Amino acid sequence: MESLQNSMREIVRNLLTEHKIDLAIGYEKGTLPLRTSPCFVTKEGEIQKLVWNSCCDLDLTKYLFKPENQNKKIGIIVKGCDARALTVCIAEKQIERNKTFIIGMPCLGIIDKKKVEAAVAPKEILEVKVIDDQIIVKGKDFERTLSKKDYLQTSCLACRYNNPPIYDALVGGKPLELPSEIDWDKIIAEFEAKSPEERWAYFSELLKDCIKCYACRNACPLCYCKECFVDQTQPQWVGKTTDISDIMFYHIVRAFHVAGRCTGCGACTRACPMNIDLRLLSKKLEKIIKDRYNLEAGLNPEEPPAMGAHKAEDPQEFITEGH
Amino acid sequence: MEQKTLLRKKSNPYIPKLATITEITRENDINDLKTFKLVFNEKEHFKNFDYMPGQFAELSFFGAGECPIGIASSPTEEGYLLFTVKRVGTVSTLLHESKVGTTIGIRGPFGNGWPIEQLIGYSIVIIGGGFAFSTLRSLTKYILANRKLFKAIVVIYGARNPSELCYKQDLAEWEKSPEIHLTTTVDAGDKNWTKKVGFVPAVTKEVAPTSKDAYAIVCGPPVMIKFTIPVLTELGFANDKILLSLENRMKCGIGKCGHCSIGEKYVCTDGPVFTQEQLRFMPKEY
Amino acid sequence: MKEKFLQKEQFPKFINELMNRYPVYAPIKKNGFHVFEKISSPKIIDLEYSNTKIPPKELFFPRAETLFSYAKSKEGIDLIQDSHPDETRVILGIRPCDVLSFLLLDKFFNSGKFQDPYYQKRRENSLIIGLLCADPQSTCFCTSTGGSPFSEAGMDISLTDLEDKYLVKSLNIKGDQLLEQIPWLGTASERDIFDATRRAKKALASIKTEIPIEKLSDKLEKLFNNDAFWSPFSQKCINCGSCSFLCPTCHCFDVVDEKTSTGGKRIRLWDTCQFTLFTQHGSGHNPRPTGKERIRQRIMHKFCYYPKTLNEIGCVGCGRCIRVCSVNQDIRSIFKAVQEVEGG
Repeated sequence: MESLQNSMREIVRNLLTEHKIDLAIGYEKGTLPLRTSPCFVTKEGEIQKLVWNSCCDLDLTKYLFKPENQNKKIGIIVKGCDARALTVCIAEKQIERNKTFIIGMPCLGIIDKKKVEAAVAPKEILEVKVIDDQIIVKGKDFERTLSKKDYLQTSCLACRYNNPPIYDALVGGKPLELPSEIDWDKIIAEFEAKSPEERWAYFSELLKDCIKCYACRNACPLCYCKECFVDQTQPQWVGKTTDISDIMFYHIVRAFHVAGRCTGCGACTRACPMNIDLRLLSKKLEKIIKDRYNLEAGLNPEEPPAMGAHKAEDPQEFITEGH
Repeated sequence: MEQKTLLRKKSNPYIPKLATITEITRENDINDLKTFKLVFNEKEHFKNFDYMPGQFAELSFFGAGECPIGIASSPTEEGYLLFTVKRVGTVSTLLHESKVGTTIGIRGPFGNGWPIEQLIGYSIVIIGGGFAFSTLRSLTKYILANRKLFKAIVVIYGARNPSELCYKQDLAEWEKSPEIHLTTTVDAGDKNWTKKVGFVPAVTKEVAPTSKDAYAIVCGPPVMIKFTIPVLTELGFANDKILLSLENRMKCGIGKCGHCSIGEKYVCTDGPVFTQEQLRFMPKEY
Repeated sequence: MKEKFLQKEQFPKFINELMNRYPVYAPIKKNGFHVFEKISSPKIIDLEYSNTKIPPKELFFPRAETLFSYAKSKEGIDLIQDSHPDETRVILGIRPCDVLSFLLLDKFFNSGKFQDPYYQKRRENSLIIGLLCADPQSTCFCTSTGGSPFSEAGMDISLTDLEDKYLVKSLNIKGDQLLEQIPWLGTASERDIFDATRRAKKALASIKTEIPIEKLSDKLEKLFNNDAFWSPFSQKCINCGSCSFLCPTCHCFDVVDEKTSTGGKRIRLWDTCQFTLFTQHGSGHNPRPTGKERIRQRIMHKFCYYPKTLNEIGCVGCGRCIRVCSVNQDIRSIFKAVQEVEGG
């Protein structure tokens, strides 16, 4: 991990000193255990702030859309999932490929801080050391060692693209292996077996704590619309109250807006302060896209998004068979 | 258990009083500006609606929401309230589509209004642009009704074209009146327009109202204000004698919801009237 | 001010006594966090928590609140005067920082020409039993905002956890009157009181963050137009509503109408200055067009404007914003940066 960190810093140093980029976006050490924070480096002296470890959870692609970062040559550090989201944004012509230097980080999985916190709750975690596949968690009057593989992000356990599919530099030079553990198809099949009433009940229960802070939308790199449907008033598409119907409507419509584009990076779930896990919904949509169009988002910067293109051979049983 | 309501108390500022539209006046040709005459359903509400020129009210279109509109009538006009509304968003559009007889809600009066007490004994120079003239109409009528308390009254009112000048009937009266010196101007005239053509800042320079013992009151689109202030400064108006009425996004109108804040001030309670001197120290968040 | 004690085994009995008289709100555990809810039984109360995810401001300033409803009639509109539950209730287990937030919100909602009757009513009808903090978190900084882990300000009754029992202290007549209805509570011993004092000292000493926040107001005013100062913070911020919604002292709201074919209602909802739409004019002009203006507004409001208008700091040091921010924007870094600015 440390050698990857050093290689990453070297790449950024070279890019900055050769003026190939104006700004590097990466991760820096957080102010709390298990946290990292976005890091914006423009000078060589700042490079030491950049870190790479199993707590680098954020999808930094989002920051390419900030107004102050337009028209800059930017080097961005991306994991496989982030790189796929970035690829979607490039395919949708929102990010200029030739202004973006993609620094790909092969990844072995990111720790889910919420899972670790839950393991020792209500005690506060004051220090964390990650050594190989162990997480050593220390608090005021306790110390515990956890097995890292049991505390990875759920999206990491189902990851099939832990090496960025698109990059200008692959840090470390070689891709890493990661076994998939979660069988999402099985989880989705369980869900698919539910009746519509049961599904509605499931989603109502899942979303009832939602406070409509829009952290999910704001963290998602694909939610880059300058005016979100939520903010439109003429017409007003979605009610603003905390009634479950208004909450559901927002989440369902957003899910449809990212259908065919979502890469399952988990930014939405990570950002949610109320611990709502939206992944089942997005995974189901991913499955539909794969089954129907044999497409996975974010693998090819030339490929338009599934819902943004039409091919003659697309299945259309809803017309031909009146489904 | 006896359930008391919060609304029987007079002091619930979130509850609108019901009023009916009794008259609608189209103010311009493109028909996006209308003046509504509203009468409270319960006559006693007029007594409680004690307002001064420069204040505003929140008009409710039930089911759609509210919009804050400056009161165009003067308190000296009894028995009704006038509001000039531009069709911009959801609520204003629904107001525009309403007919006479529609029930509207009114909350108010809100805001600090023009500082009449300070203006007494001074000459008043009123400079308005377009439909922002509404609270200036209220002020002008009020001053005219109390004419002896003030020195000279100079009004400079400009609009994009002749049709955009509001309150044409009032303007016609004021033109004939010796009590008030009125200059109207348009950016572009039409074949019937015989009066001035020119932007308000330039016309202000031309009219050159005296700044001695005078207040200047300016209401209009930001670009008009931007170019009028330097003219007034050159004419000798000190910053604390130049008054402006600001607009910001508003919801509650009573300084609680936070939307209209500029620095530590709220446009709905500390304003909407501010002096140029105050504005110098306020952040440009409006 | 009589100190009583309550053995932990007797806690359910105590709660039942309260529940026989009033609705009781207390912290319950949910999906990895705690929130205040009306409890149906003492069994679901969980006081083994640092602080709730959603601050108890929710109990006085709910996420969504109907201001009034109306019905359409032949003549036009009938304004239905909404009655609000006048339930007198007990809220138990609130931390000192959150109770201080109520005092701050009192000042705000009750000040000025217009007061907020909805908030006021709920405050009048609530009895606050606070839970003093023996174990502040590393992100707590209540001592820098005029509070302390054992502050009893704003409480009617305070509870101190003494391992096997709670010290129960009434702080005013309202508290006295309630405790009089539960006469079987034993009188606390000198030892109990000493134990509580010892814990208070320990808790106070454990708070590491020390920032003279009241001195930041003047500096912040001068920093308003300093883009270079705000830029590192606005760069990270994704402008969601997490920090504001979960902040005990944030109180901005939106007002919307909802309608059916026969009538409708006007509802007020939590809103945040971090959203783009917050300041957007009907014309499309936005005085705070980017995240930079919006994050600046939040900091200025809490640490510069609040001191100017209400003579208070708009923060109680609970640390929720530090914990919930998904990009680890740490307000302590902002304080430090202000402190380090030269010139005072």
